[in-house]
Amino acid sequence: LKKYKLEVMLSVKHLHLKHALQTVCTLEAVILRSFGPEGGQVLFTRDTGQAMLSCSGTQILKALRLEHPLARMVVECVWKHSAVTGDGSKTFVLLLASILRLIHAAASKAPGVSQWSTEAAEAATARHLADKLLAFAMTELDDLICVSVAPHGFCVSSEDFTTKTQLPSCPNGFCVQALLSSFFHTRLDYVHCDFLSGLACELLGHWKFQNDTLSFALQFLNDNFPALHTQVSGFPVSSSHVIEGQVIHRDFATPCLQVNNQPVKAVVVTEYLQPKLLRRGDMLDLGCGGRVTGEKSIIPFSAWTERSLESVIATLQSLGVSVLLCAVKQSAAALALAAQAEMCLVECVSEEELSLFVRLSGVAPISDCWMIQPENVATLTFCKPIQLGAHRYADNLITSFKPCSLVICGSGEVQTEQYASAFQDAIRMLFTTWEPTRMTETTALKKPVQSHQCTSLNAHNLTEDTVCRSSDVYVLKPGCVIPAGGTFEFLLHHALLQHGRSCSASNYTNTGVGVSQILADALLTVPRQIYSHNLKSFLQTQTRVTSFTSNQPHHFMLLKNARGTTEDPEKGDEPSKLFTLDSGLESVSCKHQLLLAVLQCLTICCVDSLFIRALIFKPAAYLYSFYESKIYVRCFSLFRSSIMAAVKITHCLLHLVLV
Amino acid sequence: MALNGGLCYHPANIHMFPDEEDFEWEPPSEAEMKVIQARRERQDKISKLMGDYLLKGYKMLGECCDLCGTILLQDKQQKNYCVSCQELDSDIDKDNPALNAQAALSQVRERQLAAQSPPPPHAPQLNGGASSSQSGGTVPQPRPEHCEGAAAGGRALLPPPVAPTPAAPAAATTLAPSRPPVSPQSSTLRPVLQEAEEAVLTKLRWATTQLQSSASLETSIQLCSLITSCASSLRSLKELSQ
Repeated sequence: LKKYKLEVMLSVKHLHLKHALQTVCTLEAVILRSFGPEGGQVLFTRDTGQAMLSCSGTQILKALRLEHPLARMVVECVWKHSAVTGDGSKTFVLLLASILRLIHAAASKAPGVSQWSTEAAEAATARHLADKLLAFAMTELDDLICVSVAPHGFCVSSEDFTTKTQLPSCPNGFCVQALLSSFFHTRLDYVHCDFLSGLACELLGHWKFQNDTLSFALQFLNDNFPALHTQVSGFPVSSSHVIEGQVIHRDFATPCLQVNNQPVKAVVVTEYLQPKLLRRGDMLDLGCGGRVTGEKSIIPFSAWTERSLESVIATLQSLGVSVLLCAVKQSAAALALAAQAEMCLVECVSEEELSLFVRLSGVAPISDCWMIQPENVATLTFCKPIQLGAHRYADNLITSFKPCSLVICGSGEVQTEQYASAFQDAIRMLFTTWEPTRMTETTALKKPVQSHQCTSLNAHNLTEDTVCRSSDVYVLKPGCVIPAGGTFEFLLHHALLQHGRSCSASNYTNTGVGVSQILADALLTVPRQIYSHNLKSFLQTQTRVTSFTSNQPHHFMLLKNARGTTEDPEKGDEPSKLFTLDSGLESVSCKHQLLLAVLQCLTICCVDSLFIRALIFKPAAYLYSFYESKIYVRCFSLFRSSIMAAVKITHCLLHLVLV
Repeated sequence: MALNGGLCYHPANIHMFPDEEDFEWEPPSEAEMKVIQARRERQDKISKLMGDYLLKGYKMLGECCDLCGTILLQDKQQKNYCVSCQELDSDIDKDNPALNAQAALSQVRERQLAAQSPPPPHAPQLNGGASSSQSGGTVPQPRPEHCEGAAAGGRALLPPPVAPTPAAPAAATTLAPSRPPVSPQSSTLRPVLQEAEEAVLTKLRWATTQLQSSASLETSIQLCSLITSCASSLRSLKELSQ
């Protein structure tokens, strides 16, 4: 765990609820026209003249010039959320704005507001509601989703990625490729979404091995994606492909003579082969090994360095090494000697690629040139230059492991970058889908469901398809998806209303009712915006979904594995009418994470005095440990409440970072 | 918005106000709802405009405008810009009849509407009755150059009540309810209606005599409109009595 240094410069700034509302509503207005399957794209023009079209919420928000601290904080929250789940940044802002509006309306209606100081009472009510919402989400939302939403979903098989119609038992469209296809459809365009999803499935298929789980492969891909893909601009997207081997994004520094496909041996070198003559801060003490000569000059020293270099190259030759991957730029003498010894040298390889190589091949890099052991030597099937677009790179294939990397083509540099980031987000989204219980913080805080608390949870309707139950705690099974287009929101809305009604019947306080009502109303804005051009579809979808919630939830076939039969033969092989062929799929756990992140961001927005002027996150490690951190706080004014507020804010933010 | 009376926030949870008792939350009246709705729409408009400016490359500052409290934007030439002050019409000035002819017009129309709906104080008496029973002051006059017709009509309604019988204002005050929707009981309706009818007829007769003797075009037009409004009040009185 690396340590973050969170520098928080405080200055007194009073934030009223209406400012928070205005800020968030402005951000909502910015992304609203790009939202949904019929949303438009934003054209960005840099001062250099480069133009870019994008409908990714994170990119749009990051490109805005914002100095307002709350706006910057919201954008930061959106960015962090999308770095985890890869999707849902526009939905985030939409939900945040609608919940904040409802809270604002509730706060201004609260009794006592007109009598006393309006803003203080409003702020207090808003904070209280936000805290209640978050508490509700942490404790009961999981169960609601598992009980009322997930049974209408479907668990996608993780066994086969090849094509979508190959499996006889798989109904058309229920596989990983369909999920990826609808993701790319919303993120990029509908022309290439099938092709790109096929490409992603191919890549996944290569990297998933028999004994590993899908989530392991996804995590590996996510962590090493920069090293596993190459961007080539100037070609159409359809020329993207998967190639064998790991591509090192540097050309050979010495001529590479690969005559036949013999396995070659390679080493990884992190230091300079020839000891550097003069480095900053070095002091040369001239004296040649104890021998006292008449003169003291640098020439014997440089002769010595050359001799040591020759011995290093000789050692490498004796081990049969013919490829050297170096992290630094070697001296001219080293290059000359390596060329003479017919060794291929690649310089200035990036740290990520080297670490990936080391991980895949299992060798240790050479840190001390005088101690070269056989375990530093890796065997490669081939190592040859490859021409991708305008650049020549080195391509390696390791025998024990057959990696493959992705070549992403695009018509311009900016477009290619967009495709690459869309790919990475797709991998993140898949990872979140297959690892729904990754958020260990929230599950630790959860208490098990007590059956007498809320009678609206129809536990007997639950099947084992999408939800598994272990010791009274409901957990989503990996790979649970649901049709896109607002189905999740409608189902959850219905469930929340029922929950609110049943809880008011029992001895819950009134605030419990208000909270589920607020959340239920806010959720409906998402489908409303999706169907804003076509209200008829909105009503149609709503009636279709609610008709399913009133009956027993229909269950679908679960693909346990490609070869096995289904558990329940009477279910037949017709999918439920809830799934239509063109509706697309979306992941349930991504939506769940989205809701949690929105409610956490909400608690920050409802803080009445904003004391954070500038937040500087050092872009080091991803994980952050709250208790081991050092928070440097420079206070300009010392009020007790201000300190408390600042601590609360940092706690919320750090909680976000943890999540 | 589905948040009706369901949300009841107990003030005991606010530490700042420990001495509060439980206030009864009353739903806002229709006028207040309209104001809230208008304010919300204005805020939405402001947000949309600000969003468009942000997409054009303006910078959102951390400061607010002194006048209206909206967040300030800054363009590429380092000039500050407040969306609501400089683009939208002001929220409050809009409703002040002294500054805005539209507001004056709408105020006069509102009063006329209140005058014509049952049970009506008859139209000529409205301004006099309303002003004498409520504020006691005069109705703020709209600028005649902007709204000739209705303003003139409104103005013309004023001078007649000064002249005629003192019984009319007394009748007006006894039967002038401040809100049109409030309707008295049917038992007390008959004498009230009859008195109203008599008053309207008296006014009609006076207007007719004035019309016969008037020489100016303006006055004739105004008297005709007065007769029209008397006739319509008589009609509504007849409908009410049925």
